[in-house]
Amino acid sequence: MRFKRLDQARPFVTLAVIVVAWLLVPVGVKAILRVSFFELTAPVTLAASRVRDLQEFWSLRLHSKDDLIAAGRDLARLNASYELGVQRNTELQAEIARLETLLRLPSFTNYRYEHARVARRDFSGWWQRIVIRKGRNYGIPVGAPVVFTGGVVGRVTEVHAATAVVELISSPNVRLAGVVEGDTRPISFQGGVNPTFAPPTGVVEFVPLDIVASPAAPKRLVTSGFGGVFPPGLMIGTITRASMGGDGLFQSGEVKLDERLGSLAEVTVLVPL
Amino acid sequence: MAHPDTNLADRSGNLVEAYKNYDPRIVFFYFMLGAMLLTLVSGLAYQQLRKVGEYADAERQQTQRRILYPGPRGNIEDREGRVLVGNRARFSVRLLLDALGPEFRREQERIRKNYAAAEDADIPSYTQRMKIARATVVQRYLDRVNAIIGRFEKVKGDDLNKHFERELLLPYTLIDDLEPSEYARLLERLPVNSPAQVYTFSTRHYPYGSAASHTLGYVGATDDVELEDFPGEDLRTFKMKGTMGREGVEKRFDPVLQGEAGGAIFRVDPAGNRINPPIQQVFPKQGKNLRLSLDVDLQLAAEAKMADSGMAGAAAVLDVATGEVLVLASKPDYDLSKFVPRLGTDVAADITARGAWYKRAIQGAYPPGSSFKILTAIAGLRSGYITPDSTVNCPGFFLMGRKFSCHDGHVHGEIGFTRAIEKSCNVYFYKFGNDMGADIIATEGRRFHLDRPTGIDLLDETRRMVIPDEDWKRTTRNQPWVGGDTVQMAIGQGDVLVTPLQMAAFAASVARNEVWTQPTILHDPNRPRQRSEPIGLSPTHYAALLRAMEQVTLTGTARILTEGKMLPKIPGLRIGGKTGTAQKQTERGIINFAWFIGFAPLENPQIAIAVAIEGDTPGEETGGGLYAAPVAHAVFKTWVEKRSRPLNAPPVLFRSE
Repeated sequence: MRFKRLDQARPFVTLAVIVVAWLLVPVGVKAILRVSFFELTAPVTLAASRVRDLQEFWSLRLHSKDDLIAAGRDLARLNASYELGVQRNTELQAEIARLETLLRLPSFTNYRYEHARVARRDFSGWWQRIVIRKGRNYGIPVGAPVVFTGGVVGRVTEVHAATAVVELISSPNVRLAGVVEGDTRPISFQGGVNPTFAPPTGVVEFVPLDIVASPAAPKRLVTSGFGGVFPPGLMIGTITRASMGGDGLFQSGEVKLDERLGSLAEVTVLVPL
Repeated sequence: MAHPDTNLADRSGNLVEAYKNYDPRIVFFYFMLGAMLLTLVSGLAYQQLRKVGEYADAERQQTQRRILYPGPRGNIEDREGRVLVGNRARFSVRLLLDALGPEFRREQERIRKNYAAAEDADIPSYTQRMKIARATVVQRYLDRVNAIIGRFEKVKGDDLNKHFERELLLPYTLIDDLEPSEYARLLERLPVNSPAQVYTFSTRHYPYGSAASHTLGYVGATDDVELEDFPGEDLRTFKMKGTMGREGVEKRFDPVLQGEAGGAIFRVDPAGNRINPPIQQVFPKQGKNLRLSLDVDLQLAAEAKMADSGMAGAAAVLDVATGEVLVLASKPDYDLSKFVPRLGTDVAADITARGAWYKRAIQGAYPPGSSFKILTAIAGLRSGYITPDSTVNCPGFFLMGRKFSCHDGHVHGEIGFTRAIEKSCNVYFYKFGNDMGADIIATEGRRFHLDRPTGIDLLDETRRMVIPDEDWKRTTRNQPWVGGDTVQMAIGQGDVLVTPLQMAAFAASVARNEVWTQPTILHDPNRPRQRSEPIGLSPTHYAALLRAMEQVTLTGTARILTEGKMLPKIPGLRIGGKTGTAQKQTERGIINFAWFIGFAPLENPQIAIAVAIEGDTPGEETGGGLYAAPVAHAVFKTWVEKRSRPLNAPPVLFRSE
């Protein structure tokens, strides 16, 4: 009878043994196990991502030829405008290079652009991150800035063999130095506590007292370039509210981020050269 | 073969019967069960109803932090609203030491193992190892910061230990003078959850550097930051350091300038990092701005001229009508910018070595020399011993027990009232001073308040000024008053001691034909003209006195002011004044004090000035005309230039035809 009762308690005993064993495992082994787990599940993540691509491909195939022609025409117009932008950028870069030489200023860091598809999105109140389909195999380093057409996406926090984890700027764990467009005084930007399906927001601190921002007259916040991680002038978001901070010296406020951060499909990693 | 009990019906009947039978022993278990349930329910009720507040408080204390910020101090402005002392944000990188406990212990263990592995018998004690471990860990964080911003800062072990023992809850400052580009780099490169974080704090900002440094004073750090009626007193509270006036206007008007503290209560995550936005917040309020009567243009002009000679000295300029102080300068002085964020020991040592703490304008008690002759003249005119027509034969000395020589040993011959003042003839005043006696001069000095502090609204004004008389000498020195004392006093020598501010107030009083001017450092645009007892001179006598004082600046000892040779002319300005060159016996020999007192414009006096310059070489003639009058010239010149350029004048628009 006693043996029978012990037999019934076997699941609890096993669980307790596993918990105790896990607690006793050295930290290094745990880290290796965690990375191994990520690497083992990576093929599944990649495969799922590629299946989604395939699904998207076939859904696009269902469009009519008229739709495709219209899309092609729109794209051609967009390309034409981009071509103009590229030409103008080339001129501006030449001018900047000339002025840097003239003033003997150091050049900003140069980057290699590594475009990557988003394999998975992982949003919660505590973190906001995505997994991209490129990792060590493309020379992506930890800490590299990640951007998209709407501006800053975030920073690479983990790099694996074929994937990398990017912490989004909507995450409270990301902080960077921005400036209000047209101003030169650095402002601290940090991701806010964002519920899973809520529009992404962030907070700013050290906003000079003379900068006025409101929902009716928001101010564009761009990267300062002072921090040495992000190049200057990339869009972070818009400051929609700024009010006197606790210290009376600066304002703090809220930043509305690009809502497309929640549905990113393709990003660009800036790999410092 | 079937067992008789195997009959199912029989067995069933027995079971039913057994169930039906009531066993009273089970009641005991009912009670047991009831008691246990009651205990559980009671415990639950106790915990949930009675102790709920206690647990809520414990949860609150664990998850919330309170921060108190000092309110920014009010600005100090000059009479035209220009900021003399303002506030500027400074950025620092600080380390939360209480979050590093496990790291300190690990480092201490590593040190112990290293000593053990080296079989070193002189292994430090646990306390010493912890100190080493703390310094090592903090330096490690500082090195990371250094690597990001390209500096080579080192941890000061003593400061760190002091902070650890006394202020563990407050973050330890690693670097407190970050440039904007440096804090921008740190914002991006320091992990969000790092114990090292960027903070901001308010410091004083001095746009004019050392200008009026003695008057403005400086502030020091204080932990006394309190916020009344702000909840969360039981929460773990971080107080940012505030400031308190330590000297000058900053100290005298600290209650006005001091801001009201603000506070915030934040929720924190399990690692202690705060989560924005705060749950509750009270914004700090800036202290009130203070409008001083100083005119920074005149102040800078006076200080620049005083700096030219490189000698110590002081200058005070008053608005004749209101007594508002336009200039209060003392040299040597100190650069207030070097007090930010704190006064370093090397800077303090340098200030001490130069004697620059001394506020000569209100603390320097000097013999006034011949500038005192104006008072002797007034005493003589009022008492009738002197008239504008009184003359004396000056042979170059005066005999009163011994020989008292005239100004620079000059032989003036037959000399009258105006010329005696113009040329500063000592013999004239020896003679009439001796005739009228010490009491009349001392009484006149006391009428002009030269025997007591002016009572200006500043701290540390000296009380060492002296207008001596017979009683004073007997009381303080236990010596009788002699004739030589009287003649010495008549020319502002001997035991007479006054401050530059007193003499400026005296000049302003003479300019108004009154006996007292109350100086004030605060500006009030609606301040009425001061009024006090008239001097009591007849119009003829007063006119003679003014004529003599003007003559001093035209052809007399202060002619440098108007002749246009060494200094540029000031067109259209009539100045009344008097120079003085007092001697003082020191251990190094006799040194001179150069004086000039005066006012302008003579026909309608508006500013009065007193300048005192300390000679620095024994035996060298440091005359008032050559050393003090140029400072007054700089002030008068700037004043005239400002007058011709009205305040807030609309911009002149030039239109091309």
